[in-house]
Amino acid sequence: MTQNTETFQTLTKGQASVVEAAAARIMPTTDTPGATEAGAVVYIDRTLTEAFPGLAPLYRAGVSALNKHARRRGNATFAKLSEKEQDAVLTDFEAGKVPDFTRASAFFETLRKHTMEGFLGEPAYGGNRDLVGWKLVGFPGHQYGYKDAYINKKVDIEPIALDRPYKTEEEWRAHTS
Amino acid sequence: MPTRADVVIVGMGAVGGLMSKELASAGLEVVGLERGAMPEFEDYAFKDSIRAFARRQFEERSRNEPILSRAGKGAPTRATYPSTPGNVVGGGLLSWTGSASRFSPGDFKVRTNEVLSGVAEKAGANLDGYDVPDWPIDYDDLEPYYEKFEYEMGVSGKAGQNPFAGPRKRDYPVPPIRQSARSQLFEEAARKLGYHPYQATTGILSQAYQPAPPYDARIPERPGCVYCAQCNFYGCHVGAKTSTNFTTLPVALETGNLDLRTHCKVFQVNVNDAGRVTGVSYFDADGNVVEQEASVVILGGYLYEHTRLLLLSKTASGMFKGGLANTSGMVGKYIMAHGDFNVRGLFDDSIMNGFIGPNGGTRIDDFYGNNFDHTGLGFIRGGPIGTGGGGTPLERYDNIPPGWPRWGDRYKDNLAHYYTRAADMTIPPEMLPHQDNVIELDPTRKDAWGIPLPRVTFTFHENEKRMGPFLGGIGEKIMKEMGASHVWTRASWQPTRTVGGTRMGADPKTSVVNGYCQSHDVDNLFMVGSSVFPTMTGYAATPTVAALAYRASDYIIKNWSSFA
Repeated sequence: MTQNTETFQTLTKGQASVVEAAAARIMPTTDTPGATEAGAVVYIDRTLTEAFPGLAPLYRAGVSALNKHARRRGNATFAKLSEKEQDAVLTDFEAGKVPDFTRASAFFETLRKHTMEGFLGEPAYGGNRDLVGWKLVGFPGHQYGYKDAYINKKVDIEPIALDRPYKTEEEWRAHTS
Repeated sequence: MPTRADVVIVGMGAVGGLMSKELASAGLEVVGLERGAMPEFEDYAFKDSIRAFARRQFEERSRNEPILSRAGKGAPTRATYPSTPGNVVGGGLLSWTGSASRFSPGDFKVRTNEVLSGVAEKAGANLDGYDVPDWPIDYDDLEPYYEKFEYEMGVSGKAGQNPFAGPRKRDYPVPPIRQSARSQLFEEAARKLGYHPYQATTGILSQAYQPAPPYDARIPERPGCVYCAQCNFYGCHVGAKTSTNFTTLPVALETGNLDLRTHCKVFQVNVNDAGRVTGVSYFDADGNVVEQEASVVILGGYLYEHTRLLLLSKTASGMFKGGLANTSGMVGKYIMAHGDFNVRGLFDDSIMNGFIGPNGGTRIDDFYGNNFDHTGLGFIRGGPIGTGGGGTPLERYDNIPPGWPRWGDRYKDNLAHYYTRAADMTIPPEMLPHQDNVIELDPTRKDAWGIPLPRVTFTFHENEKRMGPFLGGIGEKIMKEMGASHVWTRASWQPTRTVGGTRMGADPKTSVVNGYCQSHDVDNLFMVGSSVFPTMTGYAATPTVAALAYRASDYIIKNWSSFA
C-alpha cells in the first residue's frame, strides 16, 4: 500500500508502491518530511501522464527489475525489504550492476531526478506537498522579491507558492494566502 | 503578395527589436518577421521552476527545429547541440542572465596583439588549426553605440571600478545591482589576493529608469529589480530585466512604420540576376508561402538560422553555388563557444542565500584577455572570473562535492544544511576560432517545414583546454579565501553562448561581412548578430551585438539612397 492514496493514472497501485518505497530511500523521512510526505510518487505519476508519457515503459521495466533484483538480494519484493536491503538494491541500480537489466542506471537517474523534482518543485504538479521540500532547505518560494540582501543571516519567511505571477506587489500580496 | 517594404528583418529578438526602432523612426517601412509568438505576461514572467528548469520550457519552443550535433568529421550525428534559442518576439533577452559587459579594446585585435606580437610564442601556445583574425573595427568604433545600448536599454554599473575596462565617456545610467552575500565575500577575498574586483555590469535595472535626451525619451520608464529568486532562465515579472520588448520595440510599433508579423518562418532569401537580394520567402502561420519584397534584407537571428538561410538560398539563383554571400567559403565556419568552468563552494561559517537574485555579482578581469603574463602558460587569452547565481532548489540539488552521497540520509542532511550556504563562480574561457568547428546543412534530416536542419561539428581544442583549468585554479584560490569549507570545480565542456559562422573582416576573401555587418558579396544584405564575431572574448555577446545593430542601422539610414 502506498501512503499516497491518490488515484494513479499511469502507474498501477503495485508499481506506485515500489516507486514510493524507492523514492523514500532517495529522500528519506527522518525527523523531517521526505519524498513520501511530499507526494513525490504523485508527482511522478502525473509527470508520466501529462509531460513525458514516453518514460512510462522505463518505469514499468524499472519497477519490475527492482522487484526481481530485490528477490535476488533479499528474497522479497522491493517494498518489503529492510531499508538497508533497499539501499543495497538501489546502489546496484545506480552503478548499473543489475543482471538482465541494462537500463538500471538510466532508470535510477530518472527516478532520482523525478523524486527530487517531486520534493522540491511546485506543488501544482503534485509534489512538494505543504511545501515540505522548500521548508527543509530554507527556500521561501514565490516571493515577490527581497527588500533585505540577507547578508549572512537566515531568511525567516514562511514559503509560499503562487499559481501565477503578478506585476505589482499589491496584486502579489492579494493572491498570497 | 504583400506590399514591398523598404527593409525586411528576419528575427524579432534583440537585433530586430533594436534595429526596427532606428529604421522605422527614420521613416523607413519595416517588416519584422518572427517565427515565434508575441509573448503574453504569463508566458515569460512565470515563477514555476518545473516549467523553467526541469522541463526547459524555453527550449521546447525549438522542438520542431533541433540543432544536430557531431564531435568531428566522420563522427556520428547524435544528440542535439545545446542551445537556448528565444523563438519568440524578444528572443533570448526575455530570460537572459543580464551579463552586459562591453568587450575590451584588445578584444578586437587578438591577431595583432597576441598571435603576431610574440605573446603566443612566449606562452608556448599551440595554435595549429586556429585562424585568429583581427576585427575590421576597433573599440572606438563601437564606444558610442555601447553607450547608446546602456542608456536606451538600461544597464547597471559603476565606471572606474574595473581598471581593465576600455575608456568610456559617461558613467552607467544607473548604479550597480545590490551586493549579495556571495559577491561581498568575493570582493573582499579578491582584494586580499591582490586582484581588482568590480561590480558586474548588468542588463537589469538597479532602480527605476527612463532614458532622457540625447537618448530616446520615447522609451517607457521601467522599475528597478526587486531581487526575487527566479531570474536566470526566467522572464522578469516587474520588467527590470533589459529586453527590447519593454524598451525599443514599443517605440518602433508606435511609429506606425513597423509591420510585425509573428509565426512567420523564413526559408529563403531571394536574389535577382544582378546579384542583389530582393526580399525573403516565408511560411505564414497557416503554412502558406508568402514572398516579401524589400530593398534591404537584414538577418537578425542567431548563427544557426543565418548560416542555414544563406546555405539554403543558393538554389534561388545560379550565381551563388556555395550559398548566398559565400564567395569566401566562410559561411558556417569558425564557430566558437564557451565551455564554462564552474567553481563551487560550500560554507559552514557563512549564510549565502544564493537564491536571492540576480545572477550578476562581483568579478575580476585580472585573468581576462591579455591582462596577465602568459609566459609559459601554454595558451593565450583568458576569461572573467566572478560570482554567479544561486537559483531555486530544483537547480541546486546536484550541487554536491565529488565523492559525497547523491541520495539517502546524509545527502538529505547536506542538502538541508548547504542549500543556503553555497556560492558559485561561472568562468567562461575564451575559445579561439578553429577550422574544425562548423555549421552545415544536414544531408538527410529536415525540420517540421521540410527544410534541412543545421548540423554543428564541434569540439574544444588545445588552447581553451589549457586555459580552462588555469582559470578554474584561480577561482578555487578565491573561493578558499572567501572561507568556503568545501571547494571543487566542475568543468562542463558543454558548449554555450555559441557565436560565429558569418565572420566579419576587412578582406572579402576570408570573411562574410564588413564592419557594418554588410555582406561583402551582396550590398543590400546584412547579417547582424553574434554570428559576425571573428573572435568571441570571455564575455557574453549581447552588448556588442546591440552596438553592432545600432551601428548597422546608422549606416543603412545614412546610405539609404544607395539602397532605395
